[in-house]
Amino acid sequence: MDLELSDDQQMLRDNIRTVLTGACPPSLVRAVHEGTSDGAELWHQVVDLGWPALGIREEAGGVGLGFVEVALLAEELGRAAAPGPLLATISQFVPVLEEFDCIDLLAEVAEGRRSGSLAVAEGSSWGLHSISTVAEVTADGARITGRKDAVLAGSQVDSFAVVARDRTSGQLGVYLVERSAATVIPTGALEPTLGLADVVFDGAPAVVLAAAGVEAALERVLQQATTAMTLHIIGACRRVFELTLDYAKIRVQYDRVIGSFQALKHRFADMYLMVEKANALGYFAAVAIAENDPRRAEASHMAKATAGECQRLLVEDGLQLHGGIGYTWENDLHFWLKRAKAGELLCGSSLHHRSQLAAALGLISEVNV
Amino acid sequence: MKLRFESSVEEFRQEFLAWLADNRPTAEEMAADPAVSSAHCPEWAKRWTKRLFDAGWLVPGWPPERGGRNAGAHETLVYLEEMSRSGVPRTTNPQGLGIVVPSLLDYGTPDQIERYAMPLLHGEITACLGMSEPDAGSDLANLKTRAVRDGDTFVLNGQKVWTSGANYADFCFLFCRTDPDVPKHKGISIILLPMDTPGVTVRPLNEIVHPQHPDLNEVFLTDVVVPAANLVGKLNDGWAMANGSLAHERGMVWLMSVIDMEMGMQQMLELAPSILEALPEQERAVAADDVVRCYIESHAVRCLGYRGFARLVKGGSAPEQALMKLFASASRQRLARVAAEMRGPDALESKPQRSRRVGTLEDYFGIFGSTISAGSSEIQRNIIAEKVLGLPRG
Repeated sequence: MDLELSDDQQMLRDNIRTVLTGACPPSLVRAVHEGTSDGAELWHQVVDLGWPALGIREEAGGVGLGFVEVALLAEELGRAAAPGPLLATISQFVPVLEEFDCIDLLAEVAEGRRSGSLAVAEGSSWGLHSISTVAEVTADGARITGRKDAVLAGSQVDSFAVVARDRTSGQLGVYLVERSAATVIPTGALEPTLGLADVVFDGAPAVVLAAAGVEAALERVLQQATTAMTLHIIGACRRVFELTLDYAKIRVQYDRVIGSFQALKHRFADMYLMVEKANALGYFAAVAIAENDPRRAEASHMAKATAGECQRLLVEDGLQLHGGIGYTWENDLHFWLKRAKAGELLCGSSLHHRSQLAAALGLISEVNV
Repeated sequence: MKLRFESSVEEFRQEFLAWLADNRPTAEEMAADPAVSSAHCPEWAKRWTKRLFDAGWLVPGWPPERGGRNAGAHETLVYLEEMSRSGVPRTTNPQGLGIVVPSLLDYGTPDQIERYAMPLLHGEITACLGMSEPDAGSDLANLKTRAVRDGDTFVLNGQKVWTSGANYADFCFLFCRTDPDVPKHKGISIILLPMDTPGVTVRPLNEIVHPQHPDLNEVFLTDVVVPAANLVGKLNDGWAMANGSLAHERGMVWLMSVIDMEMGMQQMLELAPSILEALPEQERAVAADDVVRCYIESHAVRCLGYRGFARLVKGGSAPEQALMKLFASASRQRLARVAAEMRGPDALESKPQRSRRVGTLEDYFGIFGSTISAGSSEIQRNIIAEKVLGLPRG
């Protein structure tokens, strides 16, 4: 097992990081938080760079890279607290289109003409069993009725891949609905850069992507969405760590930089360990998905659960060790605190993923959610 | 990034497994005369070491004349994986094989290699590591045991403590002060001390579990005379060599901790269903979550360790070594505690032999030393904060 980035992967990571440093500075994130920008310029830049096409197969005009590279991008987007529909598009929408061989739609995404997100969660559940949104097949497609919660970039994407149940057969299927055909209610005002929204469909016209037999494919999609969110949280946590470490090296009290106090040093060591172990498990999940290893489901549960532990420590210690300055709006720290926390609440909480593991290990009886 | 090794590495694994199946000591052999200390080498272990050496399976990365087969890093990794999983100890003298011999091969004279390193590799003798002292634990450079040059000899006086295996070892790889007038890091040397030299007194320190089989010792040195030729490397160069030795230790220990954690986890998963079954329903989910957290940690230990290994192989620096010591020791301790506390009063059982069965407080206390020894968790945090994160010394 080799969990170290290859030279090519490292180059890609450095490249992404350099671009984001210029294209997504904290001032842009601040502008979105303060309502003076919607971050659209970043989307145009990443489209020019071909980033939406990263994980799309080559025959659809994509770059054809694997899921590890997608995870790398998701992590760097977290490290930059980047606004916009890119994360949802690469880690939710594209995996759906890939699973159901939607070549034409993939080509549109690859060309930067379409962004999208997965509309699956209802209430606080990200599972497939409790879905009550319904689809009615019509002569020219379908009509969707129901409500989806916490859709990533829901107020920014062009289209939704909606998971809904056929009204007559009860079978789960996946349907493409344009944003303009739905009622989008922005939510998550504390973290506006994610563009979260509840989306209401009231007989919305839809294209059928797959009408039945989608469960296994959707589980694979959810594993990708979850693992990308895992790395995204870890990217945000790493930024919190770097900011806090930098601060501890310059803040002087009692004539010493506070980073020289052992009480703080030990907390930094623990924070570092936490980020590194979460990162290692995150890429274990990513590579398991990339290689379609049988451990991919278990690995993505473990990774998201650990990312949850990671954000808890990093958010608390990052904020605590910054002292009062980190508590102010003017300081940038809160962009990443909020991003990391928001990630915990999306794609299933760490509690949810631990309970899935407990069931998979036979420790508790299977609960269908 | 990839999940599997090259097929040549997997073939190497199969070759070793086949050899192991034909040559391993039997469970009965081992149980009849168990190794009771980290420098105790029962007859079966002597034969086993020799067999490993002759077949080139003792240290596969070394050349055949030193018990190996010039294997690469990945091959050595799968060898250690399989050896640890097999239930047969690779050596009953881990510090001798893992630290003392590599250090002697790096810094020793041809005569020292002939007289000390090779016999150890043949399973004929064992070694202990004389580092800690009453006032030099984590602060090793503070050691005070003196070695004074007198003609062709050194005269040793002082005291060592926590010396694993000193009650069985044939010689000690002894750190001592040879120049008291220079800064403390610059006056330390390493001397080979045969443990039967007059003036050496070993007093075992009985531990909180299995006091009848002590591994830790105090070693008192009173006017002990050893040949000057027993100096290892250059005079006053011991600190640099110590860092080399500890690197050897870290290099080997991380994988053991991964396997140990996984084997502990395996036992916990065997134990858990019946224990959980017996719990009141409202306690079951809570207990299950504790088990799940251990399960996740056992994978995290592996992932972190293997990533550090990949970085080392690529020639980079690997902060994972200190991270692994900190994380793996704490995780294994947590696993032992969770398993024992989940099990209830049965966890208080105590068997005459040292056992690594999880679900007992004996296992918990037995494993506890791992966060204290070989650089305590607190020291690891200091190392990470200062050497990896660049925080200034306090």
